[in-house]
Amino acid sequence: MKFYHSIRWRLQLWHGLLLMLVLVGFGYTAWQLERATQLQRVDQDLERRVAVIAGAMRRGKSPQDRPPQDRPPQDRPPQGRPPPGPPREDRSSNIAAPPPTEVRLSARDESLFEGDTGNGFYYVAWLEDGRQISRSESAPTQISLPERGQEPAEARSRGNLREYARFMDTGECIIVGRDISDEVAVIHRFSWMLGTAGSMVFLLALGGGWLISTRTLRPLAEIGDAATKIASGDLSQRIATDDTCSELGVLIRVLNDTFDRLQASFARQAQFTADASHELRTPISVVITQTQAALARERPASEYRDSLAACQRAAQRMRRLTESLLVLARLDSGEASAIHASCDLSVIASDVIDLLRTLAAQQNVSLHAELTPTHCIGNGEQLGQVVTNLVSNAITYNQPGGSVRVSVSTESNVVVLTVTDTGQGIAPEDMPHIFERFYRADPARTSVTGRSGLGLAITRAIVAAHGGSLEVTSEQSMGSTFTVRVPQASADQDGPVES
Amino acid sequence: MRILIIEDEVDLLASLAKALREEGYAVDTATDGEEGLYKAQSWDYDALVLDVMLPRIDGWAVLQRLRQTKKSPVLMLTARDAARDRVRGLDTGADDYMVKPFDLDELFARLRALIRRAAGQTRNTLDINGHVIDTAARRVTCDGHVIALTAREYALVEFLALHRGEVVTRTTLYEHLFDEDDNTLSNLLDVHVSNLRKKLGTGFITTHRGHGYCIE
Repeated sequence: MKFYHSIRWRLQLWHGLLLMLVLVGFGYTAWQLERATQLQRVDQDLERRVAVIAGAMRRGKSPQDRPPQDRPPQDRPPQGRPPPGPPREDRSSNIAAPPPTEVRLSARDESLFEGDTGNGFYYVAWLEDGRQISRSESAPTQISLPERGQEPAEARSRGNLREYARFMDTGECIIVGRDISDEVAVIHRFSWMLGTAGSMVFLLALGGGWLISTRTLRPLAEIGDAATKIASGDLSQRIATDDTCSELGVLIRVLNDTFDRLQASFARQAQFTADASHELRTPISVVITQTQAALARERPASEYRDSLAACQRAAQRMRRLTESLLVLARLDSGEASAIHASCDLSVIASDVIDLLRTLAAQQNVSLHAELTPTHCIGNGEQLGQVVTNLVSNAITYNQPGGSVRVSVSTESNVVVLTVTDTGQGIAPEDMPHIFERFYRADPARTSVTGRSGLGLAITRAIVAAHGGSLEVTSEQSMGSTFTVRVPQASADQDGPVES
Repeated sequence: MRILIIEDEVDLLASLAKALREEGYAVDTATDGEEGLYKAQSWDYDALVLDVMLPRIDGWAVLQRLRQTKKSPVLMLTARDAARDRVRGLDTGADDYMVKPFDLDELFARLRALIRRAAGQTRNTLDINGHVIDTAARRVTCDGHVIALTAREYALVEFLALHRGEVVTRTTLYEHLFDEDDNTLSNLLDVHVSNLRKKLGTGFITTHRGHGYCIE
């Protein structure tokens, strides 16, 4: 796995990118705000001074419009420089007042631009045609009439200079400016601080994110480890977790449950295979010892016949076993063929009972049947096996002189088959196990009865495949009753069936 | 040598008993644990073949109860081949363990080994005054020549040779050479002994009057 395939790296990457965007956006906004605040303060100062200059200019331009006390006579002599260039004819022709050729500032106003109190402010005033009317001592030499924009008053930055230009109604232009190196330095410092703090926040958040993602993803790593071990064959592995509430905790619980079921299923399968091979060992050893002993020397024909008969019995037993195993394997794989055929359980039971009468007679057991016609959906052959298994069990595990009762009836849409015997009953400790494969209440090989230990397991599997249930009740030394319930078919019932 | 087989699979039991009898053993049989335990406790068998899955009392219980009184070598015979079953069998007191299906020759060899070890021997051949008894081939040779013996004569020689130096009573000999169904008359022993003396030399078996026989 490449590092960029790792969820943690991807989380980290996206987290980092988002964080960077947020920090940059925030930093830029803060920087803009700070810059705007600084410049606004400067601009206010500049604007105030422009107003002063403009006032002075108006006074110089139309002395008759102003109250005389506004203009003391001592202000009349020119104090600024003489305006360069010729006076403007057009302006003098349509305006009664003489064109302003100078800006006279009071000493107080003068102090706004000159000397220590000037704080680096300067001003320049132009006529509309570009001739300078007046300028302060501190004004830079490289300064020209600005282009008139849409607004009559505009602030602009020129290098480290901030200038405020105002165009008068009469066409003159005044610029007041100031060196703003200090403010620029403040803004620079501020942006450095922003950058440093932002970088630190970024790194801290990345580190924190890494820790959080490690912590969050640790269960995933554990899941991966456990799953790898399980995949490599160690089914006993489980994912250890104390976390039971979070999404991952739920996932882990589900996975562990799945692993439990998987392990149990594998164990059952292994047990089944072991049991099956175990069951085959005994008949195989009969065949081997019989043939080895028979072939060891020349023998009379009767001994060969005995050996062959024993081998045949062993082979029959193996055939029964393998057939049962095949039936179970088919049922396990859900290969329930023709389960949708309509059949009458009472007819099936009646046929089976007829076949088993000989066995019952051999065991000195009487057979009784109470069969009511029924209709159910199923596989006739498999249902026949169910009846055969239950009835032959009831005969085999009965006592001499005992009886077996078989009944088929319908109870509220369910077809019920009961097989009752008068045998020894099933011991309580055996009850939970009798439907298990190869389980025998008597641990000995029941070679006498020739049963495989799969009969009830097959019976249960068939009944389950038919969507039915199989129950047993038993009383020690009184006998047992097996009850099979399968769903009834919706079709109408047929006529009575002889039993 | 007398062997008890406890096995509930009738066909297997019959073929085993027959094959072992043909090997010259006296063989008793039992088809369930109860009968097997009773017989095993009643006689000193030279070896037991014991199935694990038995009706009434299973093989483990038979072994456990037998070991309280008897030291007879026991070979467990079972269809269970899981390691823990073998460990359990050997730990309970079994001397050997065979998993079904087995080979008859291997079973014979293992039984011979069990009987040999129980008698304190380590090899299959016993050399007694120039006569070599081969317990695997079940024959006696003298200077390379095979001496023709009946099965019972050989069994008598083998038993006495395995207990060399001990005086073996006639009762013990009966118990180990004849099975439960054998109705042989007791003086038949004397006939076998005198025949053996003719074939192997008069000094081969000595008689201790009132006690029994002995190979010095």
